[in-house]
Amino acid sequence: MMAFWYDLPVAVQDGLVGLMLLTPAIVLGAVVLRGFETRPLLFALVRQQVWLSIVFVALIAVSVGIGVGLIAQERGLRQGTARAADKFDLIVAAPGSEITAMLAAVYLQASDMPLIDGETYHDIESHPRAELVAPIAFGDSWKDAPVVGTTPQFVVHLAESLTEGRMFASEEEAIAGARVPLSVGDEFSPAHGVGGAAEEDAHRGANYTITGKMPLTGTPWDRAILVPVEAVWGVHGLAVGHGPEWDGVVGPPFEPRYFPGTPAVLVRADSLGSTYGLQATFNNDETMAFFPGTILARLHALMGDVRQLMSVLAVITQVLVTASVLAGLMMLTKLLSRRLALLRALGAPGRFVFALTWSYAVFLIVIGAASGLTLGVLASWAISQAITARTDILVQATLDWPEIHIVAGFISLTSILALLPALLTMKRSVIAGLRG
Amino acid sequence: MHRRQFIALGAAFMATPTLLRAEDAFRMRDFYEKDQSFTPLAKELQDERISVNGYMAPPLKADSTFFVLTKRPMAVCPFCETEAEWPDDIMAVYTQRVFRVVPFNRRITVTGVLSLGGYKDPETGFVSRVRLEKSTFELV
Amino acid sequence: MAGLPLRIEGLTVSGEGGRTLLEVPELSIEPGTAVVVRGPSGAGKSTFLYAVSGILPVTAGRILWGDQVLSEMNDPARAAFRRNQVGFVFQDHLLFEELSAFGNASIAALYAPKNRRAGIRSTGTEQLEKLGLSADEHRISGTYSGGERQRIAVARALAADPAIVLADEPTASLDRENADRLADDLMQLARDNGRTLIAVTHDPAMHAQADRVIDIVDGRIQDSAA
Ligand SMILES: Nc1ncnc2c1ncn2[C@@H]1O[C@H](COP(=O)(O)OP(=O)(O)OP(=O)(O)O)[C@@H](O)[C@H]1O
Ligand SMILES: [Mg+2]
Repeated sequence: MMAFWYDLPVAVQDGLVGLMLLTPAIVLGAVVLRGFETRPLLFALVRQQVWLSIVFVALIAVSVGIGVGLIAQERGLRQGTARAADKFDLIVAAPGSEITAMLAAVYLQASDMPLIDGETYHDIESHPRAELVAPIAFGDSWKDAPVVGTTPQFVVHLAESLTEGRMFASEEEAIAGARVPLSVGDEFSPAHGVGGAAEEDAHRGANYTITGKMPLTGTPWDRAILVPVEAVWGVHGLAVGHGPEWDGVVGPPFEPRYFPGTPAVLVRADSLGSTYGLQATFNNDETMAFFPGTILARLHALMGDVRQLMSVLAVITQVLVTASVLAGLMMLTKLLSRRLALLRALGAPGRFVFALTWSYAVFLIVIGAASGLTLGVLASWAISQAITARTDILVQATLDWPEIHIVAGFISLTSILALLPALLTMKRSVIAGLRG
Repeated sequence: MHRRQFIALGAAFMATPTLLRAEDAFRMRDFYEKDQSFTPLAKELQDERISVNGYMAPPLKADSTFFVLTKRPMAVCPFCETEAEWPDDIMAVYTQRVFRVVPFNRRITVTGVLSLGGYKDPETGFVSRVRLEKSTFELV
Repeated sequence: MAGLPLRIEGLTVSGEGGRTLLEVPELSIEPGTAVVVRGPSGAGKSTFLYAVSGILPVTAGRILWGDQVLSEMNDPARAAFRRNQVGFVFQDHLLFEELSAFGNASIAALYAPKNRRAGIRSTGTEQLEKLGLSADEHRISGTYSGGERQRIAVARALAADPAIVLADEPTASLDRENADRLADDLMQLARDNGRTLIAVTHDPAMHAQADRVIDIVDGRIQDSAA
């Protein structure tokens, strides 16, 4: 039985769960409304109290929207940040904060980091299980764009193929990310440091020409300019990683003696096991090696916890709002009591009046919940746009099952609660209602 | 995992059911001979939904449906001290849904469909020999 | 539907605070008669109609319609009795303003058994047309004049083909010509189909046409044949 359940595609499972959550409301509706046509009168009542109805729907929509938005936003952030870290299997850096190193190497949030020296780099580069080893030398910038020194192999790994132009081949050439406002053939002069601390004139005289553009990746690298690491060293007056008889071709192999250092190294191993092996090997006294995925997963777990706490608050809000809406409905049925009494005076079954009041409440709840779903996704969309504009991490707002489940559960729960005001209307005296 | 909120909503019937108790679960040595070939038991259980005990290695990717199940907690495994090869008696676990990471030293029971033979993950390029697919797991 | 004889024995209806609103020691009305009730304002005329339709529970005594003892029925049974036997025209028409004339006239179809719905709708339409109104489905009845609403209320009372028609000042807001027409129609109803009609009215034209006139003064019945 359970095995059968797990063999179902996840989407089918989710659909079934959604249906299950909605079942109480559907069954209740079928039982309560059986044999009656409440629709014309329902709309008549809504029209009679149109403003009050709108206020109730808005209240429900906002409270549901907050809950939905939280979930959608958390998922969007999780997926976006994970996607941005996809290309970074293993990072080796000098011992320090893993989070700082990850933010700098993966998300290009540059910070001052000690360097890995030539010997260590050589050890990593020459490891038999290492497939791709590349320095990530950040620190310089041009306008808002970080200028990162690395190897052609890294560019290929990151961009797969260029949308335009060709790979940098010399120290004067550079590749621009998709959102850098430079095109092939443009020249620029980098500044030392980034942001407000950048010293514009420090590298006067150093000029790069853009030779290629990377495709859009939905990561902070879209805003980056990639240059040969040799150039970064050269600009700073350091050795360029190669001996005196260097032929000028950028990229590995580097000579340890002439290797000035790099704040971070990207490593990609030849197999799953090797990835763990390399991490174990280079996580030692001299270097720290970590999986950005693991750090990110930990941050995600933290974010998930915070979100859950907020979700509990959101659920409490939803319940409170619904309770007040139902209390409001009880008052509303007083406003409608003349109509309801008239129905009973005409001989309508008590169950009909009950069904009418219940369907009025559920109508407001369903419209409110559906608008809340839309509202939540819209809010998440707006926030995601802002985050993407700020960080270049592509964050997308989507509508997925978890929020649909929440809304389905909410509808079921509140449609049960809505039986209460409906029951109370039956207790009122017909004649009192009729005389108004 | 984002499923938690259902509990808040009182929909407890969503909770992941346990198929097998921890003591009924297999260990990874049940599937490998000394020479790293598969045991008859492994071949017999192929394509069946089984439970395996182990530890979750720190995941390489966040927000994924893939992790490595190790025999012992990562930090106490002997090969970590040397440059020795990563042992081959690990299992690749593909979960049904994006999972919440568990610390590497917490024992877990993974329940999934056993799948044998070399397979290269098209997304990460990682090769695995033994996999549990459509899996769920819980802390022991 | 053929009418039902009404019989009342020792009826007392009390209001809040125990005040006696209506006393009817004895009263019988044969089916097929058109009865008119009159009396000064506040005398208890509406109360009388509410009591004989079961809207208002009795304090003491018995109300019988045929062999059905209305005074001993519980709420749901009295509602079913009204639904199946009674057509009621309320004093201030009491329409659902947001429904159309047709929607109001055929309102009983919303809660009637499925097999009766079509009949109620066609009779409702028929009655509206007979009363000089079209069964416009789009215009809400809140936009109709007082007299027109009165006629919608009459059509509603007749749509389910009741055995008993109770009308509380049905011609109050009509001009002479329309009032006379409605009065004729109501009287006709009783005579042609053997229904029982009890109408509260101050309209002398209706008094003149009635088979019988009942006076209520200070909550007490003073019967007098027409
Ligand atoms: N629930 C009640 N409790 C106390 N008094 C009531 C109650 N309902 C009605 N009354 C009073 O009973 C009296 C009779 O009311 P009723 O509505 O039957 O008068 P009516 O004869 O129809 O008058 P009108 O011609 O003005 O419509 C009135 O004085 C009214 O105020
Ligand atoms: Mg009256």
